[in-house]
Amino acid sequence: MTEPPSTSPAAPRLLGAHMPTAGGISKSLISGKAIGCTAIQLFTGSPRQWHHPPLDPEVAAAFKVTKAETGIAFTVAHDSYLINLAAPDSEILERSRKAFRRELDRAEALDIPWVVTHMGAHLDSTEEAGIALLVESLRAILEETEGYSAGIALETTAGQGTGLGYRFEQIARVMEGVGPHPRLGVCLDTCHIFVAGYDIRTKAAYEHSFGEFDRLIGYDALKVIHCNDAKKPLGSRVDRHEHIGDGEIGMEAFRLLVTDPKLVHVPIILETPDSDTMHAVNLDRLKRLAASQSLGIRVKVRLFGHFSDLSDTVEEVDLPANSTVADLAKLLGERDARLSGLQTACRAAVNEEYVQSTAVVNEGDEVAFIPPMSGG
Amino acid sequence: MGFIVSEPIDVRAIEAEVSQQSNGAVCTFIGQVRTRSRGRDVAYLEYDAYVPMAEKMLADLVERACSRWDVTVALKHRIGRIELGAASVVVCVGSEHRAAAFEACRWCIDTLKETVPIWKKEVCPDGEFWIEGEDAVKAG
Ligand SMILES: [Zn+2]
Ligand SMILES: [Zn+2]
Repeated sequence: MTEPPSTSPAAPRLLGAHMPTAGGISKSLISGKAIGCTAIQLFTGSPRQWHHPPLDPEVAAAFKVTKAETGIAFTVAHDSYLINLAAPDSEILERSRKAFRRELDRAEALDIPWVVTHMGAHLDSTEEAGIALLVESLRAILEETEGYSAGIALETTAGQGTGLGYRFEQIARVMEGVGPHPRLGVCLDTCHIFVAGYDIRTKAAYEHSFGEFDRLIGYDALKVIHCNDAKKPLGSRVDRHEHIGDGEIGMEAFRLLVTDPKLVHVPIILETPDSDTMHAVNLDRLKRLAASQSLGIRVKVRLFGHFSDLSDTVEEVDLPANSTVADLAKLLGERDARLSGLQTACRAAVNEEYVQSTAVVNEGDEVAFIPPMSGG
Repeated sequence: MGFIVSEPIDVRAIEAEVSQQSNGAVCTFIGQVRTRSRGRDVAYLEYDAYVPMAEKMLADLVERACSRWDVTVALKHRIGRIELGAASVVVCVGSEHRAAAFEACRWCIDTLKETVPIWKKEVCPDGEFWIEGEDAVKAG
């Protein structure tokens, strides 16, 4: 068996989070199950250490039993932060390659199909030289681990410092350099691509950015998605993850992502902050967005005053069931920044009656945003 | 007949609606387009309304005024392009005595300005401005 297991397109969307392994690696499965994950990511070793004691076969066996018991359908490992498969220093490069081989060994022993890795940094050398070293590293590792099921997923990065992989072109060049390989795939991180300059906040921007991904890398290569909002703005190249919908990216992008029919078979993993308290909340947000496709409602929106010059004055808008007037205003503001004043400057009326912004809207409602009036 | 109209308002006709002989007082308020606003010369105004909601709210406003002061109320608000000096709104209140007529008339126009979804756009030589409460927002 050389082909890593893949999820069937008909299966329900696999959704989960990066879970802590304090108390043993199996804990990641148990705590993931407890908050409703069907997929989890974990570190199989300490992410800030080079050396790990070899994996105890009993621990590996227990992990597989727990996986079956919890019904977590998809697991993915994230490699150590120390590993740099493009390092110009030959000693660090060799150490990184060895450490990554051990990452694959552990994944193989745990039946984990993919190990996500950042593409490394070229440091004081050039991008060109970095990519060449990375290609060499990947070829060597894939060759040495021939026959494994566990594969390598290159993660799109934020472009901090001399880090590689923040342009889809760079990833495409690495994949081309290695040549087509069933055990080489890609992990897309929404925060990273956004701060690297790929806008996904509106339908048009989302389609353009994901279209670029498909054109340059291909959806077939996409094995896992890291779902994170961003604390820092578009193009800032600063990697700070934020809770879903609370950051610079906003809810609409995540709605587009979890309802994208082309990506339903790709597992989604949260790497948002405050895992203890907030993973469940963020997971619920994604689930609600995913459910909005089938339970979604359509309302008629009417705009007045100067807002009527900015958009169609009467517009049909789709939104998740149980959305409030405030949710609708936020969505419209996210789609067009010039409409962000709808939230702050306007009163709202539903079916020609004034309502509070917390009012829930229903299928077929007419929602009017009423700026300060000037009749008389 | 709606409260929102797009033709010039016939003030006499509206007064006639509330001038039955039992009324000792008829109070008429006319809002008209002035030449200068917020330091700018105005060429003309364009009014817009959320018509179905404005109609409902004006009907409710008239009903409340009638029962609160025991008066008769007729009013029209014009939308679309309105030239300088022309009436944009007319409120007529007929009553037995003048105090109630004045009070009800004032309440009607104040409440209309605060709650009824109507907006004016000032068309000036230096551009067009939506008037949104205290703010004039450049149109377009
Ligand atoms: Zn990530
Ligand atoms: Zn990150």
